[in-house]
Amino acid sequence: MAGFEFELSRNITIGQYLPTGSLVHRLDPRVKLLSFTILVIAMAICDTYVGNIIALAFAICLFYISRIPISYGLSGVKPAIPFILILAVLQLMFYNKVASGGTVLVDHGFILITSDSIRLVIVSALRFIEIIFLSSVLTLSTSTTQITHGIESLLRPLKYVKFPVHEFALIITIAIRFVPTFAMEMEKMMKAQASRGAEFGTGAWWRIIQRTKDVFPIIIPLFNVAMARAEDLVLAMEARCYTPGNERSIYTKYKAQNKDYIAILFCILFASLLLLFPFPY
Amino acid sequence: MERGLTTRKIVIAGVLGAVAILLGVTRLGFIPVPTAAGNATIMHVPAIIGGVMQGPFVGLVIGLIFGVSSFLDATIPLFKDPLVAILPRLFIGVTAYFSYLSLKRVNEYAAIGVAGFIGAFTNTLLVLIMAVVRGYIAPGVAVTIAVTNGIPEAIVSVIITLAVVVAWKRLDHSGNKKSKISGEM
Repeated sequence: MAGFEFELSRNITIGQYLPTGSLVHRLDPRVKLLSFTILVIAMAICDTYVGNIIALAFAICLFYISRIPISYGLSGVKPAIPFILILAVLQLMFYNKVASGGTVLVDHGFILITSDSIRLVIVSALRFIEIIFLSSVLTLSTSTTQITHGIESLLRPLKYVKFPVHEFALIITIAIRFVPTFAMEMEKMMKAQASRGAEFGTGAWWRIIQRTKDVFPIIIPLFNVAMARAEDLVLAMEARCYTPGNERSIYTKYKAQNKDYIAILFCILFASLLLLFPFPY
Repeated sequence: MERGLTTRKIVIAGVLGAVAILLGVTRLGFIPVPTAAGNATIMHVPAIIGGVMQGPFVGLVIGLIFGVSSFLDATIPLFKDPLVAILPRLFIGVTAYFSYLSLKRVNEYAAIGVAGFIGAFTNTLLVLIMAVVRGYIAPGVAVTIAVTNGIPEAIVSVIITLAVVVAWKRLDHSGNKKSKISGEM
């Protein structure tokens, strides 16, 4: 089986958590989620060179504060480098109609490169790296249980507009819980199919239809297994009298401390700096 | 039981969300197509199936899970933008549900197939519109991607949606496999 990994569950980094006990780890998960959202929005809007370099420096600092090796962040960036390069070339060649502002640098036939299109390419690459770094810090410093509890308690105000907050958090918990289970099931099915002579990922890349067909014997049983598991879980939950919409007590209660307030305040200040400060470049 | 959320809706949304995440992280959800966008995807199919089987809210939640996971897992800068990765995905299950609902009376199977097509098409169209609006790709490139990626994606999505939903509906007639408390469907 050249070029195809059977060990699916080994490659899954979801729920990967690196307990270093740093300041970032000890922050309230609600605070972390809120700050993450604020920072990502700020980074997605900010489109100046200086602003994005400051944001990148900030993201790198976060790795040091949370005592997570920066190699974890870089491993997320590495597979993306070819995409970034291809996209950069495409944007430079085809983007001239939309980003026609700025000074013209190269004007040769259909190729028109302006200072605006170069800015677009560099800024979107920087932005990409910043957001990868930020989300690796968030997921590596917060366990999945903490994240779901955090989401549930952050969304609690939505209860007043009849949004099913608890049920929503339960859906997310179920989703995360079942990823490794289905990975195991999928491994089993792939081995079963392969032992009957199926081939995965061995066809030439241009035989798109063949390679698409190869996927069906895995995907469709996967969905069916998923639905069967879902029915079992429904039965189990109803046997224990689970009723959606009932009032439930909570085991883990979060209480924001001073360091949490300081962290969120700092993130808001940093985000408004990125958004509002008129960077020269 | 006519109240909004049943246990079944919650569980199915969660389980199909897990499938969506899994298709993304194992790369099994990608079909290599040699275009600028790189890969066609079938990761939106759980959202369509959820929408067809359990209604718009379930479809929306699965779309949200798919969007967030593709946002966190993205290797292409385009999908590191929440406005491109998450927002358009919310509508996949919703449009699939309504196209299923409107055609259900004519022919059940046709309705499921059309829902698969419309859902996939919603994904392609809205993501590309957002990508153009946010300035990641030029309109000309977007049209090419819509043809080279969108059409294979839609076909694959129709096949999978039909196979899965029909198999699941059959469970209904084959006896006591399903809990009856959460009401019919």
